[in-house]
Amino acid sequence: MKNTGQLLKEKLLLSFEDIQAEVSDEHRLTVNCRKDTVITVLSFLNNSGYDHLALISCVDWIKDNVLELVYILTAYAEDKGKAKMNILVKTRITREKPGLHTVIPVFENAEPYERELHELYGIHFMGHPRLTPLFLEREYKIPPFRKDFDTRKYVQEVFDQIPFVEDKKAEK
Amino acid sequence: MRELELYFGPQHLGMVGNFSITLNVEGDRIVKATANPGFLHRGFEKLMEQRTWIQNFPLVCRINVVEPDHMELMYAMAVEKLAGIEVPERARFIRSIYLELARIGSHLFGLWAYANMLGFDTVANWAMYHRDLVLDLFEELTGGRVYHIYIWPGGVRRDFPEGFKDRIINTLHTIGSCVPDYDNTFFNNRVFYKRAKNIGKITCEEAKRMGAVGQVLRATGMKQDIRKTEPYAAYDQVDWEIPVRTDGDAYSRIWVVRDEMIESVHMIFKLLDKMPEGEVYNKIPNPFKWKIPDKDAYVRCESSRGELGLYLVSNGGDKPYRAHFRTPSYNHGLTILEKALENESIADVGNIMISLYITAPEIDR
Amino acid sequence: MDRNNLGKWLKSPGKMGQKYSLHALYFCTGCGIIEIPPSITTRWDAERFGVIPVATPRQANLFLITGYVSVKTLRYIIRSYEQMPEPKFTVGFGSCPINGGMYWDSYNTIKHLDKYIPVDGWIAGCMPRPEAVFVAVTHLWTLIDKGMADGYNKYRANYQYYRENQEKILGKLEWPPLFSKNIKHEEYRTIA
Repeated sequence: MKNTGQLLKEKLLLSFEDIQAEVSDEHRLTVNCRKDTVITVLSFLNNSGYDHLALISCVDWIKDNVLELVYILTAYAEDKGKAKMNILVKTRITREKPGLHTVIPVFENAEPYERELHELYGIHFMGHPRLTPLFLEREYKIPPFRKDFDTRKYVQEVFDQIPFVEDKKAEK
Repeated sequence: MRELELYFGPQHLGMVGNFSITLNVEGDRIVKATANPGFLHRGFEKLMEQRTWIQNFPLVCRINVVEPDHMELMYAMAVEKLAGIEVPERARFIRSIYLELARIGSHLFGLWAYANMLGFDTVANWAMYHRDLVLDLFEELTGGRVYHIYIWPGGVRRDFPEGFKDRIINTLHTIGSCVPDYDNTFFNNRVFYKRAKNIGKITCEEAKRMGAVGQVLRATGMKQDIRKTEPYAAYDQVDWEIPVRTDGDAYSRIWVVRDEMIESVHMIFKLLDKMPEGEVYNKIPNPFKWKIPDKDAYVRCESSRGELGLYLVSNGGDKPYRAHFRTPSYNHGLTILEKALENESIADVGNIMISLYITAPEIDR
Repeated sequence: MDRNNLGKWLKSPGKMGQKYSLHALYFCTGCGIIEIPPSITTRWDAERFGVIPVATPRQANLFLITGYVSVKTLRYIIRSYEQMPEPKFTVGFGSCPINGGMYWDSYNTIKHLDKYIPVDGWIAGCMPRPEAVFVAVTHLWTLIDKGMADGYNKYRANYQYYRENQEKILGKLEWPPLFSKNIKHEEYRTIA
């Protein structure tokens, strides 16, 4: 008998042409797709019952010069097989001027996640209603969560350069 | 009437934690609310990339100060999954007991915040005192009052000391014997009912659409708990019930919290009865030379606020390549709060915020 | 406690008043706030030491900086500190405001708080226990007695330098300077 993951994988491969799906664990399905099909894949999964967007994450693979976006979906269903499944939808985009469409029309709670990724990775989400700063106060030349941003160097350059008031007084 | 912009927090008596909301108000009705987080942003996930696998343990527990234990568990579980480490049976039980104690402590802290905000100072003082009794147990077990660093990949750091089982039972009896007092003065109090009923109402449909988890979801009538659906530690070894309410307002949410606390106490008694003897940790490789294969993992657990997850990526090195925490307060504080505050009065902002169980450090990380 | 020391009371009643009624500002600046509720409730009743939390900076004279200070919080800490009436005392709670603590390499937290506002005392540790708060309070009494808790005088005397440091991190501050120039303590007496 096939388990829920295998069935879903077959269903996905039938419906979409250029995606790869893999059941690596008993309860885990990894889907790789192109960046313009993400939204259709997500809405397909949403309609098949995986209606909880747990997380949108991003990994900076600096050696391959790509950013990998990871959408993690689970289900609210009380059906045991479905509720155990974790689906990871992955897509790769370029590091220079990264951008893709927002998934807010499918999952409403994607809004703060996309705002965060815009701020920490510099990814532009087209159609997002407010891409305003979420966490940060200062402006950074390189978005701080990218691999080429060195926090230790930044701390030395900014915070360690500020003199103690006593030293300043002695100087004058 | 003219619309005004009102800044609520971060320095405000009705605000728990370092968080701020910008309210557009008309009279005392809220037209629009905008959450403004980031006062506690430390860039944890970036810092974790620069420390070795084992060095990260003191760091992860500081992400959420109210319940550091679930954060430890999450990181340990992810490392175990990546490195393929097994956990002994006794350690699983100890983990469950420890996490349930942490849940009781965290709920009592939440009860303190809620009662204090409503003006029930007596109940607030009781809750804080009872939480301190739980912290005393932690102190004996781990040496720390707030941050414990007790859960370790491959088990827990040390076994229960002698007579610790009895002291857990004694403490829980002390707290449990005060439940009627709590009920009479707070939960069945008419004032609490009037203040909390029909405040911050969300339906089950809305809650699902906006990604609610934990009490917020269970208060709308949905029976969902990671401890049941994807059991970790020893939660599949004992029988227990998921407490549910159906109204979806502040009143139901706090009642769900109360029922969960009582369920946790019962669960600890059952776990203590069934606890097997044996080892409490499996050996891990030398932490200085520990490298973990090139893989990624997503793990989740039920913290006292709802679904907590961790997406951990390794590139085969001695440090995590990327870690991303999925925290329950994130959606509660940024999506649901904005929705729940609409058309409420200014006086209920604190009420709704605390009943949604939002902790700011979890949002900002 | 030197409540029987009548001579001291008569000599400087104002100082004694400040000493035994420390009004702590209710501001959760970091994770150290978790140990404040236990210390103000029944088990470690802080009112025994005359410490009581108050709602607004206008009523407060003790500022407990509980835990790490992110850049965004620093703005509000300065705002709140400047709104507090003199004499005012600042105590850094936990390791993080002293030198960054755990977050020494974080890009978003302040490493040395005393570069931006004056701090009268520190409580080291992560997390300091509630007893440590009371040790700090009794220590602060001694400092007040000896006239050494004079952070607010230092702030006045070096205001230009403090403001420069603050603006280096936060950019141009939107509120006007509290003092137009550095004012020495003796000078301030004559103005006021």
